[in-house]
Amino acid sequence: MDKKSIVKFDNVSFRYEAAEEGEKLPLAVDGVSLDIKEGEFVAILGHNGSGKSTLAKLSNSILIPESGTVTVDGMDTADEEKSYDIRKTVGVVFQNPDNQIVASIVEEDVAFGPENLGLPRDEIRKRVDDSLKAVGMYEHRLSEPHKLSGGQKQRVAIAGIIAMLPKCIFFDEPTAMLDPQGRKEVMKTVIKLNREYGMAIVFITHFMEEATLASRVVVMDNAKVVMDGTPKEVFRNREALRNIGLDVPSVAYLAEELSKSGVNISPDIIYEEELVERIEKLIGDR
Amino acid sequence: MIKDITLGQYFPGNSVIHRLDPRIKIVLVFAYIVAIFLCKNFYAMGIMFILLLAVILLSRISPKLILKSVRPIVIIVIITSLLQLIYNRTGEVLWEWWKLKITTGGVNMALFTTLRIILLVVASSMLTYTTSPTMLTDAIERLFCPLKVFKINVHSIAMMMTIALRFIPTLIDEVDKIMSAQKSRGADLESGNIVQRGKALVPIFVPLFINSFRRAYELAFAMECRCYQGGEGRTRLRVMKCAVRDYISLIVVAATVAGIILLNHYFPTVL
Amino acid sequence: MALIETQNLSYIYSENTPFEVRALDDVNVQIDEGEFVGIIGHTGSGKSTLVQHLNGILKPSKGKILFDGTDIHSSKDYTRSVRFKVGLCFQYPEYQLFESTVYDDIAFGPRNMGLDKDEIDAHVMKAASFVGLKEEMLKKSPFDLSGGEKRRVAIAGVMAMEPKVLILDEPTAGLDPRGRQKIENMIADYRQATENTVIIVSHSMEDVARLADKVIVMNKGKIELCGTVDEVFSGIDRLVEIGLDAPQITRIFMDLKKKGYDVRTDIYSVTAARDELLSLLKKKGVQV
Repeated sequence: MDKKSIVKFDNVSFRYEAAEEGEKLPLAVDGVSLDIKEGEFVAILGHNGSGKSTLAKLSNSILIPESGTVTVDGMDTADEEKSYDIRKTVGVVFQNPDNQIVASIVEEDVAFGPENLGLPRDEIRKRVDDSLKAVGMYEHRLSEPHKLSGGQKQRVAIAGIIAMLPKCIFFDEPTAMLDPQGRKEVMKTVIKLNREYGMAIVFITHFMEEATLASRVVVMDNAKVVMDGTPKEVFRNREALRNIGLDVPSVAYLAEELSKSGVNISPDIIYEEELVERIEKLIGDR
Repeated sequence: MIKDITLGQYFPGNSVIHRLDPRIKIVLVFAYIVAIFLCKNFYAMGIMFILLLAVILLSRISPKLILKSVRPIVIIVIITSLLQLIYNRTGEVLWEWWKLKITTGGVNMALFTTLRIILLVVASSMLTYTTSPTMLTDAIERLFCPLKVFKINVHSIAMMMTIALRFIPTLIDEVDKIMSAQKSRGADLESGNIVQRGKALVPIFVPLFINSFRRAYELAFAMECRCYQGGEGRTRLRVMKCAVRDYISLIVVAATVAGIILLNHYFPTVL
Repeated sequence: MALIETQNLSYIYSENTPFEVRALDDVNVQIDEGEFVGIIGHTGSGKSTLVQHLNGILKPSKGKILFDGTDIHSSKDYTRSVRFKVGLCFQYPEYQLFESTVYDDIAFGPRNMGLDKDEIDAHVMKAASFVGLKEEMLKKSPFDLSGGEKRRVAIAGVMAMEPKVLILDEPTAGLDPRGRQKIENMIADYRQATENTVIIVSHSMEDVARLADKVIVMNKGKIELCGTVDEVFSGIDRLVEIGLDAPQITRIFMDLKKKGYDVRTDIYSVTAARDELLSLLKKKGVQV
């Protein structure tokens, strides 16, 4: 597997400036090395204050590392001249959809990015329509954002990013403020972008079930990366996850309990379908 | 509930008036307002009235809504009319009591100013009723483009207006929520004297401002992430183009202004 | 007699305008003293509108709300007194903090009640201990705290009025697992210590099932279901139909049932799930 790297964090550290002079805040990101490859779907787990949101801002030169380098498609984010091209390559979707929508009409908001890129009108039109169709909001293109549901607003925000045709999108807890319906809508959209459009996705969340959908899970704690692997590899470390204030999907607990009770089932199961299949197989083999 | 207040008085539609180029619309309304002040007699004012009536009919906006736009200025109309009635002493005396004297001149002037104020308000409401706020800011940005010569950053001003428009409904919701929350903790917003009421607003405005700063901060990040670098090199999704209807409307208004000048010349002046 | 009762409660937003929305439609609920009630429903089901009627913030379009048997809108004084007896904590309450110290913010409610200084102090200290705020935190500015701490300060602000009924609208929304756990434990402890009525509003059946004894399910402004947690879970298919999310564990059993296996679908805890699966496997003759 020799895929090209899109965003590469190389021993990156960062700290926010303290409000008072002379004081020094602890590192928000501490020696993080992470390589996001083309077309990858990576979930970043961690509780609030673990530094995971700072990673999103470091990825497209909104923040510049204190030490170490972040390289986006071969460009160093510390190079100010490149910031425009970097932001074109790596898009960021934030937690609160209300605070990232600029215009009072859906399609005009989606057009905001392409307009900033100085694209010709026909190209903008095409990108706006394509992006809105990709997130399933085309019928709402003339609506006012404040009349939409949370999930719909977040999808508009996503369309605004994909209209810039980035190669990678960082999602900074995009579902934290949504209801279950909205969460489902956003997850479906994100998976589609990854599978059908081949975009690399970095999905920051604290919902375990969402993290299991990724192909790779990175766990952060205390500004450091503490685990990095497939969902199965990561969720196997139950004790360690619980110790840093995270949890595992309840299916995993159930599989563990069943295995302990003598059922021939792998305690590593983390997906519902997987568990149901296993049960069916056990009955079928009989 | 604050939510019930309708803001940004735009009523979506697809009429000829809705579809006029917003730049032309602004220019026309401006011309119309100037023309109202040029009118010197009822004949001229009558033409202005007919023109506005035609616009209202073409826009297919319900007369009820038009009347609603007049409601807030009723008091101003009444006061100015009364002043005209009392202080204007020209023409025949119609009614007299103690030091009060009402004359035909006064009645004419009162009617004339009432008509003038109403036409003024209705004409400008027609602009906002039929043009979406975004179209308006867009048009303003383009109309005032020449101001760049004087180092005025028209783009920034228009961007600020766009963002303000976008956040007004969000902030109204927020005020509503904060008010309910503080009321739930026993805040009394309805009684007391001015000082007490002013003080009662602190628990509303402090969170509102803090939240707005947080929003502004996040919005700035989001805009930067979308490659925003100011107006330089920006293109637009919507291009404004003048159509036949725009030229027709220009001609109609120009003809009306010419007509008014003629009427002013051939008929006696009320003023 | 029920502590709170709504009679034919209806509420219409923006009545007589084109934007009219019927948020509550002939709602009759009874909540007894000491009950722990969960109200669930999807966004727009009317659950938040309902609780905003219970402390008199919203006035019904039709019908009435009784507290202790008296209409809460029967007089201005009574409405005001109910506001302190029914403490309502809104969604994302941390955005409503405004005072310069945590102490003063928690004291806002008690001050409005007209209590004297010593009483206020007693109320604040008690509320602070319920939410696990240490004394040195009380002197800090609420804006210097973390998200989860702010949330706890805001909840303490409502608890400090020592209401007979505590209503929390989505108390764990937007928090990480650790923050959610803390708030849930705190609510359970409060309830145990005071034995007061507690009502929580949530999207999540899972959260409600963990905490509450009685569940009210709202849909399109009406009461869809009302009963114990087990009773409500036995109607899980209907709940999913009206757009609620079944817990992951429950979904496994719904899936098995769809595939033709004879299993219960009212299961939401890991232990119950294990037992049900074990009995299914045994019935099918699988060696366990």
